[in-house]
Amino acid sequence: MRPILLNSCARAATATEARFRIDAPIAPSRGARVFALDAGAEAVVADVAALAWATARFFARSGGGVRPLRGGELVPVDVTAELEGADVAVLVATSPEGAAAAALIGGICRERGIMTAGLVLDGGFDALDAVAMLRPYARVLLLTADEDDIAAILTALRA
Amino acid sequence: MLTRELNELLTQTGPGTPTGQLYRRYWLPALLAEELPEDDCAPVRVKLLSERLIAFRDSHGRYGLMDEFCAHRGASLWFGRNEDGGLRCAYHGWKYDVTGQCVEVPSEPDNGSFCSNVKLRAYPLVKIGDILWTYMGEPEHQPPQPEFEFVHVPSDQTYTSKRWQESNWLQALEGGIDSSHVSWLHSGALHNDPLFKGAKGNQYNLKDFKPYFEVADAPGGLFVGARRNAEEGHYYWRITPWVMPAFTVVPPRGDHPVHGHFWVPIDDENCWVYTFDYHPVRALTPEERQAMMDGFGVHSENIPGTYRPVQNKDNDYLMDRATQRSGENFSGVRGIAIQDASLQESMGPIVDRTKERLVPADSGIIKARQKLRRAVVALRDNGTPPPGTEPEHQRVRSAAVVLPQHESFLESCRDAVSVRPGVRQSSI
Repeated sequence: MRPILLNSCARAATATEARFRIDAPIAPSRGARVFALDAGAEAVVADVAALAWATARFFARSGGGVRPLRGGELVPVDVTAELEGADVAVLVATSPEGAAAAALIGGICRERGIMTAGLVLDGGFDALDAVAMLRPYARVLLLTADEDDIAAILTALRA
Repeated sequence: MLTRELNELLTQTGPGTPTGQLYRRYWLPALLAEELPEDDCAPVRVKLLSERLIAFRDSHGRYGLMDEFCAHRGASLWFGRNEDGGLRCAYHGWKYDVTGQCVEVPSEPDNGSFCSNVKLRAYPLVKIGDILWTYMGEPEHQPPQPEFEFVHVPSDQTYTSKRWQESNWLQALEGGIDSSHVSWLHSGALHNDPLFKGAKGNQYNLKDFKPYFEVADAPGGLFVGARRNAEEGHYYWRITPWVMPAFTVVPPRGDHPVHGHFWVPIDDENCWVYTFDYHPVRALTPEERQAMMDGFGVHSENIPGTYRPVQNKDNDYLMDRATQRSGENFSGVRGIAIQDASLQESMGPIVDRTKERLVPADSGIIKARQKLRRAVVALRDNGTPPPGTEPEHQRVRSAAVVLPQHESFLESCRDAVSVRPGVRQSSI
């Protein structure tokens, strides 16, 4: 059958027809977890953590584990438990020093099918080493000099 | 996801809009040179950045691009006579040269001083490669002329086509930055298309449907690297440069010509897609050139005498459910260009980005929007010139290479992603 109504053919791609698109509320992401893997990253992520987010939770590397960057006790927490229910993990680094934590988080994400993104803040020679460190664990790696990219990505992901 | 305000900021390019001001800092493709094929040929209506213009080529081979409408009574100069070094309005005979200067008002007895005070807004129009380029900004901010490699190789090494896309420029550009759709929407082309098939790199694409991505800042925009598994201990990298505001080069395949796009806003709901193929070191073969003219590769088959694709929204892009079912191509729409156009136009003339559900694999798009926003705001608030105007920003290439797993594409491919005249593209 050939379409006879405007909305049953490609010509419906008009601004007028867009008014008839279903306008249901969009849920935020189920949970973004943001991990600062070194001191340089922590300084930047702490500022981002202070903004208003729907479900995102923020952590900094602490020894072999992580601790929250806001709310509650600033003591080490169980990474495995914190990733429960997460749908995306964002790893932020300025150097390769967080390799062990990246491996831990990346391994859990791989097991659970959690999406991963890595941001390397390009502050100097360590950046490419940080990229190499994150490469096995991050589905997407962004090497950037713009610290605002962390907030931009979290906003785009509805975190 | 973008807020409504940001979506409007980045998609509106008319006069006086912030992104319109950004676009007016660049040389832009205005027409193909073939549209003004000879001196005193018919003028061409051109709409760019929501401005209605007329382009013509005068008796001395000079190109002009100016306000479409006569200063006298507002009649379209498209009806005019292109003669004796100027374009003459068909209504009362007022005549303009390529700078928009009125040079004759023959209906009045003594018009010398009157003429000198009548000038239409006009923009420079220069032929570089197969394209007529214009600069629509203030003269004092005019950047150096375009240095993109595809317009500077000998003419037998390059081919450019264009097509009308019925959508805002930004969603079209974002398709060029979004590498993750290639393994799905365009998967059939790697087997069938004469401008793609046979390259060794295709096998890596076809064996690994979940590429990883790396996105890196470049002086003029971004480099987006997509990596797939290759032989033991190696990755296959496809590296796409984006030069602001709207130029991308697709990573090459084997010794096939290299292709890419330049998206130019017509108005906020339409854009021109300029599509090129070139080879840095050899002439295109007759078969390659014919395939491009027939709409293979990233080109389109257009309705004769127009730049509207044969497959368009009036005919549902000639969607074929049988080829979709058979797997001959993923979407059932023939050809890469129209596969992209069909989906990008289906989003609506300006996609509502407040409704998106982006994922980390969209980070290239997210970063590009961020760079555009920063450049728009910096220009608006501080007059800061945007990236992408300098010649060295434009001398970039795409690349397709196999690297050891520990190597960074950024470090290992510095030469590969730079224009090196006389040196073949880095491709596998």
